[in-house]
Amino acid sequence: MAHLVIENITTAYDKADVLQDVSLEVEPGKITCILGSNGSGKSTLIRSILGLTPPRRGRILFDGQPITHLATHRIIASGIACIPEGRKVFPKMSVAENLRLGAYQESDQAVVARRLDQVHEIFPRLKERTGQFAGTMSGGEQAMVSIGRGLMAAPKLLIIDEPSLGLSPLYVKENFNVIRRINELGITVLLVEQNVHQTLAIAHAGYVLLQGRVVARGSAAELADNEEVHAAYFG
Amino acid sequence: MDLGLLGQYLLNGLMLGMIYAMVAVGFTLFFGVLDVIKFSHGDVLMVGTFAGLATYLGLESVGIDSPWLQLLLVVLVSVSAMAVLGALIAKFLILPLKDAPPLNTLLATLMLGSVLRESVRLFYPNGSNPKPFPRLLPTDEWSLGTLTLRVDNLILLAAGVAAIVGVHLLITRTKLGLAIRAVAQDGETARIMGINFEWIVLLTFGLGSGLAALAGVMNGLYYNETNFGIGLLLGVIGFSAAILGGLGNVYGAILGGFIFAGLQTLGSVALPAVLPSVPSAYKDVFAFTAVIVIMAWKPTGLIAEKSSERV
Repeated sequence: MAHLVIENITTAYDKADVLQDVSLEVEPGKITCILGSNGSGKSTLIRSILGLTPPRRGRILFDGQPITHLATHRIIASGIACIPEGRKVFPKMSVAENLRLGAYQESDQAVVARRLDQVHEIFPRLKERTGQFAGTMSGGEQAMVSIGRGLMAAPKLLIIDEPSLGLSPLYVKENFNVIRRINELGITVLLVEQNVHQTLAIAHAGYVLLQGRVVARGSAAELADNEEVHAAYFG
Repeated sequence: MDLGLLGQYLLNGLMLGMIYAMVAVGFTLFFGVLDVIKFSHGDVLMVGTFAGLATYLGLESVGIDSPWLQLLLVVLVSVSAMAVLGALIAKFLILPLKDAPPLNTLLATLMLGSVLRESVRLFYPNGSNPKPFPRLLPTDEWSLGTLTLRVDNLILLAAGVAAIVGVHLLITRTKLGLAIRAVAQDGETARIMGINFEWIVLLTFGLGSGLAALAGVMNGLYYNETNFGIGLLLGVIGFSAAILGGLGNVYGAILGGFIFAGLQTLGSVALPAVLPSVPSAYKDVFAFTAVIVIMAWKPTGLIAEKSSERV
């Protein structure tokens, strides 16, 4: 299971990015996307789920358990991992240390080693560069570190925040393929993106955020034809 | 100058450098994980020294007089009590001010330092006078020509090296060290990795404060004397050493500690030789002046610190 339910949350913090009465659901096994332009509240939504900026009202349930006001490390322990916006690799750490931090809550070395093998299988480049400082890598390679680090947690639900931001078109395409593969491994994905067409091409369902509110919801096919989606971006 | 005297200066400089490095590492760790400057650090060292002294007097009064057992308990009580005190200061003074301007933390800990200092002066029996610190280490001497080696000094040097190497291994080789470095480089991403941010901060403050207590006990054992004001000077020196090396960088802090001790030693040798009217007690003035010059030359410290290069 990896069933995330968000019920009527309102989140505010000093950076003006605000959520008002947002409800949504991430179904187990699926790729659910959140579309929205800058300032629509996407980042705040993720911060709310992760407990970095807890909502003022409403509640968040993961597999039926409320996680609304848990500390971030407890929310992670419940099986949620996040690939943060801008990749956020630890620049002065090696690739190996970055990946180890992804599995921080796992203390069984054998399990960690097994997950590392899986990540190396998906990204052979990371195995070649295992001792390199992540800060000295190219943007595309850092994206691999960041995604690999998220996978090291072996999460039930993986939140992916703006994976295509700042990457060359070739890497963007590759990234979306990787996300699809991750989902095929059985990991539920919450994908937050600005890139409408490529996102809807791999997502099963999604929501559109505009100025902190959900203005449209539906299957990927429905959203592709939805006027609100176009309005949210181009209107 | 004869070789024996030179050796004596060298050993003394190494000893001081070790103590300064241990204090400076605390400053740099605290700055690393929370971007704060904790000015009560030197006074925590002093309280640790007095806790060690009180432990010794307590053991004497109940008739436990084996020096090794006394030493073990003095170090154990001092280090663990200050580790707890450091964590408590972090929990109740520094973390609540996390979102306030850093100057507030600086000011609050500066005042806490005064409170600790004056409390020892007022409430420790006869606290305003210097206290003899017991000689718990064997004081056998070896003479090598004009150089005299004392066993206790060698043991202290070895203990200092062990403490610093221990910190290095903890930071680079353990999971706790990995978490401390992660929090130092990017606290929020560290939390997203599932690291218990507050717990790591408390452990880091405990670690730095325990290290300062050990430095205080070593300082007491070295000079066989302590007083309520030692934390002030050692705090300022440790802070200077941390800045000198580049605040946030553990190796910079260690390097800074030894450089400061080297400058002091140079000052105490060179000043009277060059200016006979200036006593060697002005070595601190010489060292601090040199630090100011070095800072003007390398404003970000000798090991350049960018925000991404913590711990």
